[in-house]
Amino acid sequence: MTADTIAIGRSGAPVRASGLRHVLTPAAIAVVLVALYAWVSTLELDSIERRSLNREVIVAKVVEHLQMTVAATALVVIIAVPLGIVASRSRNRFITPVILTAGNLGQAVPCIGLLVLATFVLGVGFQTALVGLVIYAVLPVLRNTMVGLQQIDPALVESARGMGMTKGQVLRRVELKLAVPAILAGLRTALVLTVGVATLGAFVAAGGLGELIINGLKLNRMPVTIVGGVLTACIAFFIDWLGSLAEKLLKPRGM
Amino acid sequence: MFDRDPAGVRIELRGLTKHYPGQPAPAVDNVNLDIPAGELVVFVGPSGCGKTTTMKMINRLVEPTSGEIRIGGEDVLNLHPDELRRHIGYAIQQVGLFPHLTVGENVALVPKLLGWPAAKVADRVEELLSLVNLEPGAYHDRYPRQLSGGQQQRVGVARALAADPPVMLMDEPFGATDPITREHLQSEFAKLQKKLRKTIIFVTHDFEEAITLGDRIAVLRERSHIAQYDTPANILAAPADDYVAGFIGQDATLKRLALLTVDDVPAVGPVPSSNGLPRVDAGTSLREALDTMVAHGSDRCATPSGVLTYTALCEAVGTDGAKTGHEEVAAGDR
Repeated sequence: MTADTIAIGRSGAPVRASGLRHVLTPAAIAVVLVALYAWVSTLELDSIERRSLNREVIVAKVVEHLQMTVAATALVVIIAVPLGIVASRSRNRFITPVILTAGNLGQAVPCIGLLVLATFVLGVGFQTALVGLVIYAVLPVLRNTMVGLQQIDPALVESARGMGMTKGQVLRRVELKLAVPAILAGLRTALVLTVGVATLGAFVAAGGLGELIINGLKLNRMPVTIVGGVLTACIAFFIDWLGSLAEKLLKPRGM
Repeated sequence: MFDRDPAGVRIELRGLTKHYPGQPAPAVDNVNLDIPAGELVVFVGPSGCGKTTTMKMINRLVEPTSGEIRIGGEDVLNLHPDELRRHIGYAIQQVGLFPHLTVGENVALVPKLLGWPAAKVADRVEELLSLVNLEPGAYHDRYPRQLSGGQQQRVGVARALAADPPVMLMDEPFGATDPITREHLQSEFAKLQKKLRKTIIFVTHDFEEAITLGDRIAVLRERSHIAQYDTPANILAAPADDYVAGFIGQDATLKRLALLTVDDVPAVGPVPSSNGLPRVDAGTSLREALDTMVAHGSDRCATPSGVLTYTALCEAVGTDGAKTGHEEVAAGDR
């Protein structure tokens, strides 16, 4: 809605409001991170805590976490968008329920269970965590791709066909373009989900911030758990913020 | 293909039938129709009579079950559907402008699909926007959302005309606008067609619109059976049966008057000066002239070329003015 207003330049107020929102989120994240740092600095850390709460470990865990998230989401896009396109075609309406059920199942089954099952097949490590995450995060992107394509006014598709566009051209130039906002919204949801669920990667030795959380719990060191938890939350907020920027920038003009 | 010459070409439908699987009766049953080159033929009929289906078979958005379609003598069913559609203009009631493309990009779509050079496309878009009375400088870069309904319909027509196709299919292209805009668009479009002389198939359920725009009207009943196919004047003068008469309504004669203008009737007497007669301008329809006369309680009115009498009006539609009383006509004008 705000992007429209910008495109038209009809009024200044919504632009300012959304501009404010786009500055507020990163500012809040920065404040939380500074507060976290300040708080940890005041603590007398024992040797166990020092082993987790130092720059090398934290940076390594954040990087692992982001790697998991980004890799899983990239795979989700590669899998879910084409599946969503297939499921939205009216001639495929017989397999649509199958695809949707599979997607729903992926999200309904507890991720930790999925990870354990995947361990039997793949052993522990990064790729195992990836499988679990992808299965878990496919649904929002799949669903939104489907919905985004199905909600397009049939008159647009008809007039595109009537003008002599091939089915492929209609899909690429009209349908997918108009479904971009819905697909991006699904992607944003998937990313945020993945950031949270990636903490479970620690259970299959894939690293990430989950390791801090679990170690803190196991060793009864609250500061370690809190740092892991807060950092995960901050990453989730930050990625959500990036997603909102992407939605705004990539949304087709004129809509 | 049939569009080497942008002027209209003849369309022939032979035994055209569409039978949807699982349906007891065909949706369109054995339609035979000749549409002369450069004419605007209106398919008029109630909803669900198959008029749209018949039209959509011509650009093969609906594949015929059997029958033959020839455009400019060429068998359409032998052509590739996508290629065929690029050479037939298509405008629909919902307009179907792409919201993510500007007005200019929407209009440029078909020429680009046909691989026209960019400069030619740009010139053509300018030309078309002017043709449908949209100032190119002001509208080229706007998005459809920023246009009024009537402006969108104009862009829809411009887009259908973009590649200068000899044949256009129009499915209630002015249906979604308010009556005033609609009348305006219709008269503009009629003028445009007079200039362009495309072969146009125009679908509507509005008989008034059919009379206003059509060179010929095909009145359709269920399964697209043709109840009558003739010029508006002939259909109004002699409806083939009760079904057609029902479509025309009670005021067939008034509708016929609407088809004629004061210039079609020989005026009597000298050019009147200000002698108290109500005046009408050149190009006024006889129906409006009659309205003026009734409104002023006069049996004659002044036209730029002379005096138009009530008797002359009656003669113009083939009735004997001397026998019919004024009261009767006034009653018919409810």
